[in-house]
Amino acid sequence: MSNLFDHSGAIGKGYSQPAPLLPAHSIALPENLTRKKVARWPRLSEPEMVRHYTWLSKRNFGIDTGFYPLGSCTMKHNPRINEVIAQLPGIADIHPHQPEHHVQGLLSIFHEMQEMLEICAGMDQVTLQPVAGAQGEFTAVRCIQEYFRSRGETQRTKVLVPDSAHGTNPASAAMAGFEIVEIPSREDGRIDLDAIAAAVDDQTAIMMITNPNTLGLFEPEIAQAAEIVHQAGGQMYYDGANFNAILGITSPGLMGFDAVHYNLHKTFSQPHGGGGPGSGPIGVKEHLAEFLPGPIVKKRPIMAGEEAHAIDDLWYGWYQPANSIGKVQQWHGNAGAVVRSWAFYRRFGNGLRTMSQHAVLNSNYLRHAIFREAKKAGVDDMFCDGAPTTVAKHEFTLSLLPAKEKYGITAMDVAKGLLDKGYMAPTVYFPLVVPECMMIEPTETESKEVLDTFANHFVEVLQVDAETLHAAPISTPVRRVDEVYAARNLCLRHPFEEDEQ
Amino acid sequence: MTGTRTVKHTPRRGVVIMMVDQLPNLGREQEMLAEMGLADIEDLFSDIPSHVRMQGELPLRGPQSEEEIIADANRLLGSNVALGDRVSFLGAGLYRNYIPAAVFAMITRGEFLTAYTPYQPEVSQGMLQAMWEFQTLLSELLGLPIANLSLYDGSSASAEALTCAVRVHNRKATQKNVVYVSQLITPDKFSVMQNYCQGGGIEIRMLKHNGDGTIDLESAKEAAGSCGVYVEQPNPIGILDGGIPLLKEILGPNTALIVGVQPVSLGVVEAPGNYGADMVVGEGQPLGSPITAGGPLYGIFACSKPYLRLMPGRIVGRSIDVDGKVAYCLTLSTREQHIRRHRATSNICTNETLIALMGAMHMALLGPEGLNHLAVRNMTACILAKQKLSEIQTIALPHIGSHHFNEFVVELPGKAKDCLDYLDDNGIVGGFNLNSWYSNRTNWLLVTVTDQTKAEEIELLAAHLALWSSKAVAA
Repeated sequence: MSNLFDHSGAIGKGYSQPAPLLPAHSIALPENLTRKKVARWPRLSEPEMVRHYTWLSKRNFGIDTGFYPLGSCTMKHNPRINEVIAQLPGIADIHPHQPEHHVQGLLSIFHEMQEMLEICAGMDQVTLQPVAGAQGEFTAVRCIQEYFRSRGETQRTKVLVPDSAHGTNPASAAMAGFEIVEIPSREDGRIDLDAIAAAVDDQTAIMMITNPNTLGLFEPEIAQAAEIVHQAGGQMYYDGANFNAILGITSPGLMGFDAVHYNLHKTFSQPHGGGGPGSGPIGVKEHLAEFLPGPIVKKRPIMAGEEAHAIDDLWYGWYQPANSIGKVQQWHGNAGAVVRSWAFYRRFGNGLRTMSQHAVLNSNYLRHAIFREAKKAGVDDMFCDGAPTTVAKHEFTLSLLPAKEKYGITAMDVAKGLLDKGYMAPTVYFPLVVPECMMIEPTETESKEVLDTFANHFVEVLQVDAETLHAAPISTPVRRVDEVYAARNLCLRHPFEEDEQ
Repeated sequence: MTGTRTVKHTPRRGVVIMMVDQLPNLGREQEMLAEMGLADIEDLFSDIPSHVRMQGELPLRGPQSEEEIIADANRLLGSNVALGDRVSFLGAGLYRNYIPAAVFAMITRGEFLTAYTPYQPEVSQGMLQAMWEFQTLLSELLGLPIANLSLYDGSSASAEALTCAVRVHNRKATQKNVVYVSQLITPDKFSVMQNYCQGGGIEIRMLKHNGDGTIDLESAKEAAGSCGVYVEQPNPIGILDGGIPLLKEILGPNTALIVGVQPVSLGVVEAPGNYGADMVVGEGQPLGSPITAGGPLYGIFACSKPYLRLMPGRIVGRSIDVDGKVAYCLTLSTREQHIRRHRATSNICTNETLIALMGAMHMALLGPEGLNHLAVRNMTACILAKQKLSEIQTIALPHIGSHHFNEFVVELPGKAKDCLDYLDDNGIVGGFNLNSWYSNRTNWLLVTVTDQTKAEEIELLAAHLALWSSKAVAA
């Protein structure tokens, strides 16, 4: 057990620093500006620091550790060349306020990414500014809000979201000031055209949908849904969380959407970093482009005098859309994530379609293998599809309601049992419309062997008795963590001994 | 809008060979499909109606090998001017302090890098504990009991603090749905605040400043009874304002004092929590993170107890497991979007955990004395720079009597833009043109130093400023 605050070694610093340019006493701050009580930070030498964080890392599970089928999160392998590239001084040591002629190479990468994302989603203009999917949603919703204000349609105050939507959809729309109308899904988990038709009116601003939906199923009536919303004067927003399923196969533009966000940390492999950073660019159709946050990169032929700084026969410059909503991040977005994702895109190019095909192939294969092995073992009565379908897309849902009803085994029990088998558990209890839901997304970067073995282990877990499973996991750094205790006995920072007395 | 696409249509050469190192099942499609009783991979897409199908191939370039990608990256990014290649005095919100090598070594461990949000605490103890330690490090640094595990950047942290202040104080506020923000606020940050505040109908009013750059404490009295006041220490033009520690008494208990900080300064400068600030926010980047063209960064957010249950962002709590062993988990999640949906305190989901972890590692290596030393290095470089530049007759330092942390204003005899162009031609990134923030300040240059600034670089800047400004005066 290592605790950072147990280190109170030699008074000094973990790494040596040169002397200041002037003696410290040349700083003569007035009393009320001077710090009196030092921060009680630990004192670690470098070997102690390295050992502490290495120890912590060994108590953490990443994609590198093992299979990470966390539905809705697209936990694919993160190619290491992308990390090497992101550390180059030409990105890491760049300031966003540097003039254009210092950063032509970076701007050309931004431009290439904007154009690639436009093509993949069938949109007319992309901005790379939002730094996470939820921020992308918020940004797009704000753009649409300003679009309606510019047309005098200020009565459009309602945003429609399916009951199976990600929580960020209603949260982002509410933050922009919209009222949320939840649309119930059909029995089979798909959107209900009649319910949409009944909900739209002249107050409808936006309908937010992800397709494939959160059950991992393609919404075949998406174009009709878009038509209903458009006829009522509303706009269609595409939540790009599940974009990994459809690159090169269909696009939000073809489905009738007006705006979309991309999750570069999902589809384009920016590492998830234990919770972030992400990157959530948005793309829009032409009628919304003037409202986008800037800056956006535009290109033009080079002019006399620019040759020395140009990287090709074009000049890349920042541009502010005419009626921009302004900014959602202070600078140019998560440029480091954009560069990593650019390196990922270059790996695939027009083969992104193959990437999506394999994501869907792996998902369907795993679904098949789980049912196959369950049947063999005679436990196929313990779960069923989250929603009826013949094919899934990049992810699929199972309901463990039968297991709960028959044996008292919950989705959480199975999740914890899988931890003992050396896996990250799938997403559980989401979407809310599926009881005892388990949402499984293998991604394209897992081999057939991994999928077969996981299917076997999944079925093995189902054969464990309820009592044993309630006690799982037993082989992890800690066993089941008491979240109620954490909430009732809030301890949000290290309790220093002298504070306790 | 789209114009003509100039994407090169390279032939689909060796797609399989190029991607085989990323797709383990390439070439095994038929085997897997046959097992499922399917003949063609297209069968998996039979649920996508033809009227929404993409026709033909994606009009994108062909795939590249790793070697080709790194070559292109070196060519494109290598053509950029990295600040380390020049003498640089550019800061204005982002600062390039030295980051110890151990930070990069630890942060690239796959267990941290390739994990996601610790929804399964039993196998995520490493990141959870590291973030709990991060919360403690920040809490100690800022002088407040509670810190979350990061927002997107300094701007979103300040914007979320304003909406949090309204959630907490609006009921008792005499100025309902009103917050005040220092009039020196940078326009980009202000724009983020406006976007976050407009949905809740929050009105942002401006807090006046005196001619010397300090807050006008008389006008600050008008803000008492509003939901919250946002000021920065040091302020956007580098001044350490002795009036800010007096603000809480002026505002009273029902108006939140929100202070934006440059975290490194707190090695020398008083922590806002120690003079009554209710929330402290800021750009965490100067601790542990490269500038990276403006992102990813990490937003600092700390608050006192009354704000806890209405604050944005994730937070880690220490708990126990079923055996009574110390264990960590996310807590107070009922504020968040995945539970509370449209009634959540914020829409944030993915945050900047990995960059916050870099910050924690840098803080751990610095220790209290190391932070003090780092702050002293910044601040003494600033004192030296002010001394040297104040000796130049043709330029002025309008706030020379004030205390600064690591940046200050130089008033030039001509346009800051022209001066920066001249310095650029001489290999110096001379600072920031304040005209881009303040339309009436065409001749103001913001000069920034850090721990990386050398005495001879200051001499070089002084020499070039003297040369340029004497010419400008003559002209």
